[in-house]
Amino acid sequence: MSLFSSAVKKPITTALMFVAIAIFGIFSFITLPIDLFPHIEGNTIMVMTSYAGASASDIENNISKPIENTLNSVSYLKHISSASRENVSVVTLEFQYGRDIDVATNDVRDKLEMIKTALPDGAGNPVIFKFSSDDIPILILSVTAKESMPGLYKIMDEKIVNELARVNGVGSVSVSGIPKREIMVLCDPYKLDAYNLTIESISSTISSENRNIPAGSIEVGSNTFSMRVQKEFTGSKEIENLVVGSYNGANIYLKDVARVVDGLQERSQESYTNGEIGGMIIVQKQTGENSVRIVRKVNQLLPSLEKQLPSDIKLGVIVDTTENITRTIGSLEKTILITLFIVMLVVFFFLGRWRATIIILITIPISLLASLIYLYATGNTLNMISMSSLSIAIGMVVDAAIVVLENITSHIDRGSNPKQAAVYATNEVAMAVIASSLTTLAVFLPMTLVGGLAGIMFRQLGWMVSIVITVSTLCALALTPMMCSTMLRAQNKDKDTKWHKAIFTPINKFLDGLSSFYARLLDKSLRHKRVVVLIAALTLIGVFAVCGPMLKTEFVPEQDNGRISVTVQLPVGTRQEITRDLALELDKRWRAEFPEIIRLGLSEGSADSDNLFASMRSNGSHIISMNINLGSMENRKRSIKEISSIMMSELAEYNQIKRFNVIAGGQQGGMGGQATCQVDLYGYDFNATDEAAAKISEMFKELGVKQTVISRDDYVPEYQVDLDREKLALYGLNTATVATFLRNRINGAIASEYRESGDEYDIRVRYAPEYRQSLKDVENITVYSSTGQAIKLRELGTIVESMTPPTIQRKDRERFVSVSAPLPEGMATSDMNEAITAKIEEAGLPAGVSWKFGGTYDDQVQTFQTLGLLMVLIVILVFIVMAAQFESLTYPFVIMFAVPFAFVGVLIGLTLTGTPMSIMAMVGAVMTVGIVVNNGIVLVDYANLNRERGMGIIRAVVDSGRSRLRPVLMTTLTTVLGMLPLALGRGEGSEVWRGMGMTVAWGLSISTLVTLVFVPVLYTLFAGFGLLRKRRKAGKAAALPKKV
Amino acid sequence: MKAVFITYNEAHSDSVLEALDKCFIRGFTRWEQVEGRGSRSGEPHLGSHAWPTMNAATITFVDEDAAARLKKYLKELDEQKPQLGLRIFTWTIDND
Repeated sequence: MSLFSSAVKKPITTALMFVAIAIFGIFSFITLPIDLFPHIEGNTIMVMTSYAGASASDIENNISKPIENTLNSVSYLKHISSASRENVSVVTLEFQYGRDIDVATNDVRDKLEMIKTALPDGAGNPVIFKFSSDDIPILILSVTAKESMPGLYKIMDEKIVNELARVNGVGSVSVSGIPKREIMVLCDPYKLDAYNLTIESISSTISSENRNIPAGSIEVGSNTFSMRVQKEFTGSKEIENLVVGSYNGANIYLKDVARVVDGLQERSQESYTNGEIGGMIIVQKQTGENSVRIVRKVNQLLPSLEKQLPSDIKLGVIVDTTENITRTIGSLEKTILITLFIVMLVVFFFLGRWRATIIILITIPISLLASLIYLYATGNTLNMISMSSLSIAIGMVVDAAIVVLENITSHIDRGSNPKQAAVYATNEVAMAVIASSLTTLAVFLPMTLVGGLAGIMFRQLGWMVSIVITVSTLCALALTPMMCSTMLRAQNKDKDTKWHKAIFTPINKFLDGLSSFYARLLDKSLRHKRVVVLIAALTLIGVFAVCGPMLKTEFVPEQDNGRISVTVQLPVGTRQEITRDLALELDKRWRAEFPEIIRLGLSEGSADSDNLFASMRSNGSHIISMNINLGSMENRKRSIKEISSIMMSELAEYNQIKRFNVIAGGQQGGMGGQATCQVDLYGYDFNATDEAAAKISEMFKELGVKQTVISRDDYVPEYQVDLDREKLALYGLNTATVATFLRNRINGAIASEYRESGDEYDIRVRYAPEYRQSLKDVENITVYSSTGQAIKLRELGTIVESMTPPTIQRKDRERFVSVSAPLPEGMATSDMNEAITAKIEEAGLPAGVSWKFGGTYDDQVQTFQTLGLLMVLIVILVFIVMAAQFESLTYPFVIMFAVPFAFVGVLIGLTLTGTPMSIMAMVGAVMTVGIVVNNGIVLVDYANLNRERGMGIIRAVVDSGRSRLRPVLMTTLTTVLGMLPLALGRGEGSEVWRGMGMTVAWGLSISTLVTLVFVPVLYTLFAGFGLLRKRRKAGKAAALPKKV
Repeated sequence: MKAVFITYNEAHSDSVLEALDKCFIRGFTRWEQVEGRGSRSGEPHLGSHAWPTMNAATITFVDEDAAARLKKYLKELDEQKPQLGLRIFTWTIDND
């Protein structure tokens, strides 16, 4: 028994089976986590090796080069780059997307094992770090406080950090910009010298006085008591009264030579939020966890945590990476609902029967929900790709059901009773329905086989649409006949209500008129075949010749996620006060100028070493970094691109700024981040590459770019103490001892820890700030020899100003420097690449310097190639499916002529709207290939049928056109109009998928218009040839002498 | 005795069975899914790409009264749904 006859015979079973699918789907929908893109596993591994005391070029030659050479043989490696700076080498390996990073890490570890012995003796063991997008903070909270500022760190640590770290999935929570409490012992060097004391002796006194030591146990009578010396400091005042030495028989107290300050750490990062001082709390997630889920939990927790805080402390959100995700998915959900509504209208418009419309529409939610079960089962997320696949699929799922319903209706109209009509009519079209689903599957299934970045992006799309199409075919073959058998009646025109007649009589008249107009047009074209072919060929060549060169390309469109991050660098060594003044000035200016800014968080100064996130980013007293939250794009007129462009011009006005980097979207390249053009310059000679980098930076500026970032830092000025070894030897000193003396006085020595209610605070002994402000102060530092002789530093050597060479960067085993520039508005990646190539070729580069495009350009080229290859594969597969269906090679060939016209449509669409070809648009084009052939299949199939029924070629074709126009228009309109919400969407994130909707809509509409005329003409031509050949054969056979 | 041979569009299957019951005819032989084409008009039923519908056929041997009743009944059915197609052929047979 066939599927549909059992379905019709067992309506309850059938209905409940689909209800079950729907329920599982709804369950999946509720529990599915959401994200922006499918999970992209990190593809980067870093190998860090320290080699104390080595200069950058030593590191390059002795550490980085050997490691690079060895690791270069690891499989699936895309790029290997290294940064060699003083004392440390960092080799970064970038693997091809899709490579299991754990396997790669093992490979790397094995290779490192091999090379360990070849590294210099003093070098540390190479350490492997995996880095992925999971390490980017998902949430940055601002904390502002007034009265509670001194104790803020402790309050945050206890009340917020610990609580948040306990949330499931949160990786690490760190506090930045809030200084920690510290007990500072600030010494007066003159008094120290007078009493023959040193920083070292003071810190050892503090350390040995701040002790609790158990002394064993003692038995007294029948009891045992434990003995303890308990002399840990109970208050910071106690430290002042320590006896640190004696002079002429009198005790010297610490307060005599130093002042003890119980305060906040001296130099640290400061954070401001909307101009108010405070701090930042940075939340990172655990690898593989879902950001949205974690942030939701954190947000639920925050109000209750806030209640426990002192009333002057305010929490706010500076960066919430999930806001954009939630809004994007929300706007996609809206898009899907609009699409559903449009498809419903189209179906109702054509069918004019609400029962029939319901039967068709019911297949949509069921098929879509079935694909959600797949997402849930495979542990995926609802993301931009999976959601837009749903939106794409809506227009296509109804096609099969429409064909089945149409045939059942015509059987019922002929007089069959609905139950039998449902079975027999479905039987008649089952093969055709399956075949047309197969052509669609031929497009989407190969997508699941693609590797690399395109694979990660589009594997989900492939699976989703394939599942949706398969389930919708099942629906069409089981649910649709079942519902038709129970719900449809023979149409009784007289019974129609008044309004129904009022609406549908004109619609039907219009559609009939359209059909006969089309039949006339077809008839005319069939009689002027050559003209039609000529016009078609000319259009094809013309559009390709005109629009082809105008086509721009880009990787992934930039998304407006309401974030801008700004880094400003003043000359190295700028005092923090000056940096702070500038930071606050910018903050004030921008918040006045851009009312769109909801929250502006900034931080400046050196980060504490235990703040993981802050110390990973470049920091220092001369660096300002800002995070600006502008809110949803739907609530403002100016885009982040416009605003960031104004910011760039304004930053360029400040002469004191050495370099700045404004990043619209908070991240560069990758998925929806700021589009940049990056030129990599390769060459050994520093001066030559520096010169080339400056030249290219100039070229970018000439092209309208407002900021360029050169990856190589300048030489950094610093003071070096040049010790004279002979003099050191004279006093029995060595470099290490003197250097330690110097460090203890300037940076300070951590003498001990002060404990208070379970927390520990550093006790730091150093010179008071007023005694370490000039070079003279440093020269006057007293060093004691082993014999106790006091010597001034200036007697041991000189202080010289020198320049530290910058980090040596290498990529693919060659020294390189990169220049990157964000694209100005209205410029696509391909425009900029062409312009800069022309400029570089014209001006030339210094000898020994070669160049290449870097950044995401590699990914773009590779992805485009993959998709191009995929397209060829799909064309072949679609051809095979059609050839099998028609059992002919000619007809599929004729139908395939629709494909170039799909590209004509895509080209026209992209050119008219000025949209660059992104990978999303490219995928749209790939999909169009499979969809456009469907109309041709319907027309050719019916023409064949007419001929089999005995009609002549031309009549068969015209009749096929007249009677098939409605279904063709209906299925095309559901698909094209279903794409419109995607193509015209203005919601958050729509920039990314707009290209996809646009290419499908344009490609399909233009190719449908052409298919309707051009394919029938070609069909007639080829059928004519076929007939001629047959007749000739028959003639020859007749002419042959008959065998007797 | 009469032999009544009915060929019809398979969509009529249930109605023909019903007709036999209504005329109190118990015995019959039926072929599901047979191909055929009418002599004068109507669509062929060939199960092919061009003519996808199929016929069914039923033969029954009944006395003359029953045959007349059945004939009348089926004629009405055919007239109700002329597009589907139903033909009845009878011939006299020996009842040995």
